[in-house]
Amino acid sequence: MGIRILIPFVAIVLFLLEPEFALFSPIDWNRETIYLVPRFLILYLIFIAIYYNRKRAVTYGLFFGLLYDVFYIDIIGLYTVLYPLVCFIAGWSVKYIHQHLSITTILSVVLVALMELVLYYFFFFINFTNMPFTNFLTNRLLPSIIANLLYLLMLGWAFKYLIDARVLQKLRELS
Amino acid sequence: MPHFSYKKLILLLVGMILLVALISFTLRDRQNATLPEQFIKDSVGLAQSIVAKPANYITGIFDDINSLLNTYEENQRLKMRLEDFAVLQAEVNTLKSENERLRELLERENSLRDYDPIRATVIARNPDQWEEKIIINKGSSHGIKPNMAVMTTKGLIGKISVVTPFTSEVELLYTNNPNYRVSAMVQSEKEVAFGLIEGYDEERNELILKRIDSSLEIKEGEKVVTSGLGGIFPKGILIGEITEVTTEDFGLTKMAYIKPSANFSMLEEVLIAKRSVTVIDGSDGDGTNADLTNNTGIPGEGEEE
Repeated sequence: MGIRILIPFVAIVLFLLEPEFALFSPIDWNRETIYLVPRFLILYLIFIAIYYNRKRAVTYGLFFGLLYDVFYIDIIGLYTVLYPLVCFIAGWSVKYIHQHLSITTILSVVLVALMELVLYYFFFFINFTNMPFTNFLTNRLLPSIIANLLYLLMLGWAFKYLIDARVLQKLRELS
Repeated sequence: MPHFSYKKLILLLVGMILLVALISFTLRDRQNATLPEQFIKDSVGLAQSIVAKPANYITGIFDDINSLLNTYEENQRLKMRLEDFAVLQAEVNTLKSENERLRELLERENSLRDYDPIRATVIARNPDQWEEKIIINKGSSHGIKPNMAVMTTKGLIGKISVVTPFTSEVELLYTNNPNYRVSAMVQSEKEVAFGLIEGYDEERNELILKRIDSSLEIKEGEKVVTSGLGGIFPKGILIGEITEVTTEDFGLTKMAYIKPSANFSMLEEVLIAKRSVTVIDGSDGDGTNADLTNNTGIPGEGEEE
């Protein structure tokens, strides 16, 4: 019973923690301003899509994407589409790749990097930023990816453990 | 199954059109939240402020440790300052009383400087950071209105952009919005130079002060404060310090780079300045966010000079 609630609960906590971690950014380091973008929630949703249930991950993605858009971005339809799309691709990839934890970690980080790229082009296109691409790469994308990779290395096994426990529980319910 | 995939294709296309419509609709009117949006913002804001409390506490501990490590050095510096401070305090007191007396003589009660501060706690920062935006825990029910100035104890950080009953969003000074202007002045020893803060330089990470009269002398290291002429902000809020002075593209006016005095990362407590003198709606007062630079019908910041 507890595990059943725990999965959406973790998602909510991660959603609320993201902006708190964003308060640390931007960091001035070596005369460069480095942006660290926390992507805790989508990484967790990718794990759900791969280890648990694609449909559920897409639904969560839609819900939290909408909240994200309304609360932070004020442009509805951006994360609302990107989150479910990323979850969908992650779930779809399960058929083709091995589900080992290290591979999942790399795949999630690559997917998040792609999402950042799409977002960069979107905001560039609507003139919200005029950051050159090389700047984006060195000051935003790479630091964010490294930070999120560290986060996944610390918590990825916990996500997998939690989701596996839920899957086992479900199997037991079925039998 | 070709029939099935056609159906899917049409669904996809309709979805795409709806998406583009939704994005462009919400892009156009970003300053006014609709009722369902307000509801979502307030409920997420409530949850967020609960999470923000322990998070602020933890960052507070880090700050404490940091200041503990620098105690000796800081103490030395402060002792030196303290001696100057007593002299300064006396001077300020005399100036203040003189100012009051002169104002009485002139029968002018309120000045552009006066404002009522409202305290607020930062509950979140836009995590994707494409727009520099923070969310605070006070809203229209606490008397906050769009376009009010937001500052920390160190200086100006931005202005209120969207208000819901219990939360509001602050657009920070680091923005690319072309309609985001702050009318400012340089406080040099001899004369006062007025200008407008328009945009910022992404590479230098500094604000740009434009349209300064080229006959006026301004130097590096001089302080820049709000002028209060924009009709929105109170007068005299510190913005930053000049780091470089150049001429603008056409050589008619001067332009200066300004290093903001406020620290934009790790924002926790902010003050919202509610101006006492009547607030004039600025060029983006009705929140359309449209390009009004060529429109002469609306009284705005650009028309004051």
